[in-house]
Amino acid sequence: MTAASTTVPLLQARALSFHRQDEPVFAPLDFQLHAGELALVEGDNGSGKTTLLRMLAGLLHRGGGELLWRGEALQRDQCAGQILFLGHQLGLKADLSPRENLRIAAGLHGTREGLGMASVLADVGLRGYEDEPVRRLSAGQKKRAALARLVLLPATLWLLDEPYANLDRIGIALVNHLLEKHTAAGGAAMVTSHGTVSFHGGEPRRIRMHG
Amino acid sequence: MAEHPGVATACAAMLRRDLTLAWRRRGDIAMPVLYALIVTMLFPFALGPEDTLLQRIAGGVILVTVLLAMLLALDAMFSSDIEDGSLEQLVLAPQPLALLLGMKILAHWITTALPLIVIAPLMAAMLHLPGAVIPVLLLALLLATPLLSLLGAVLVALTAGTRRSGMLLALMLLPLCVPAVIFAAGAVAAAQQGLPWLAPIAWLAASLALAVVLAPLACAAALRIALDA
Repeated sequence: MTAASTTVPLLQARALSFHRQDEPVFAPLDFQLHAGELALVEGDNGSGKTTLLRMLAGLLHRGGGELLWRGEALQRDQCAGQILFLGHQLGLKADLSPRENLRIAAGLHGTREGLGMASVLADVGLRGYEDEPVRRLSAGQKKRAALARLVLLPATLWLLDEPYANLDRIGIALVNHLLEKHTAAGGAAMVTSHGTVSFHGGEPRRIRMHG
Repeated sequence: MAEHPGVATACAAMLRRDLTLAWRRRGDIAMPVLYALIVTMLFPFALGPEDTLLQRIAGGVILVTVLLAMLLALDAMFSSDIEDGSLEQLVLAPQPLALLLGMKILAHWITTALPLIVIAPLMAAMLHLPGAVIPVLLLALLLATPLLSLLGAVLVALTAGTRRSGMLLALMLLPLCVPAVIFAAGAVAAAQQGLPWLAPIAWLAASLALAVVLAPLACAAALRIALDA
């Protein structure tokens, strides 16, 4: 099993496509993502980056082509909870504090072993804001609260749509650091960005989208 | 591979979340209650304080008022979760979506319908409903209101994402409520006349049992379709 898991890609797409009202949103895509790898989804505005991530997360139906999860046809029941999606809408309740938001997510997904909510919130730079309602946080702090969810929940694949938006330089470094830690621990991530992003942990795989 | 928490833990987290959210905005809970009280108060003013007339219409008035008051709060059931992306996170959670939505509906019932049931004796007193009938009225409300919440939730899920869904929701839900209103009001009327009232109550209970099982599944399917667009 361990020998196989080093060679079988975590996620593999073959001629993956998506149609909206019979119009293809992006050209058929082929890519694979191994555990410990980072993929950068590049493309202009409207090239279908968000659509791709939403489809991989299981929010959108698969248009055409094949998706393989650990070498077998991807079934939502099997990989539920192993794929986390962070989109433009962060999925935080504005009336609850970052800690309460995390508690709900932990109640649904469970937590990584040995991680506590307080330490995770401190790691993303929200020390002192744990019990402040999310509505009173700045856009960047909200993003950090959403990133805390990624750190705390046990998942293999992160699908991050524009994770750098609204973040200051320290925040961008934080995202890169989290991505490095996640891939070093055997996780994988797909990140969309239309800006140029530099990763410290080696050259990421690049998936180019054409509208 | 990490184990995901059990269904009971997830349901508890969900219920706690929605109840906390409702408590943070407890002013909203008072609105349907005040609305129901004011509407009930209007009837004696409009029809005159004549005991026999008010007594005859009391059961029906209370049921319809409660139904309309619940309708006020209904379209908010999933809208904030859709707006802030929480629903996406719920769909992706490794838990049965129908069960999580069932918990949301339960929380919604607790925060909107339960306060209305609590003030129902007061509304009954305003309309001179005999005290002996009030237990039957409460029983009918306890069975009819969750039925309305469940039916409403399915329609809210179906109209999710459409603009001006409030009016559309009312137009779709009210005809569906007719059987519930007939049975609930029928039970109260029968009790008022000293007739056996168990049969309509049993019908209500049967429909509720059916709705408890089917409505969350329908909600889950409808919301998945709403997101998949």
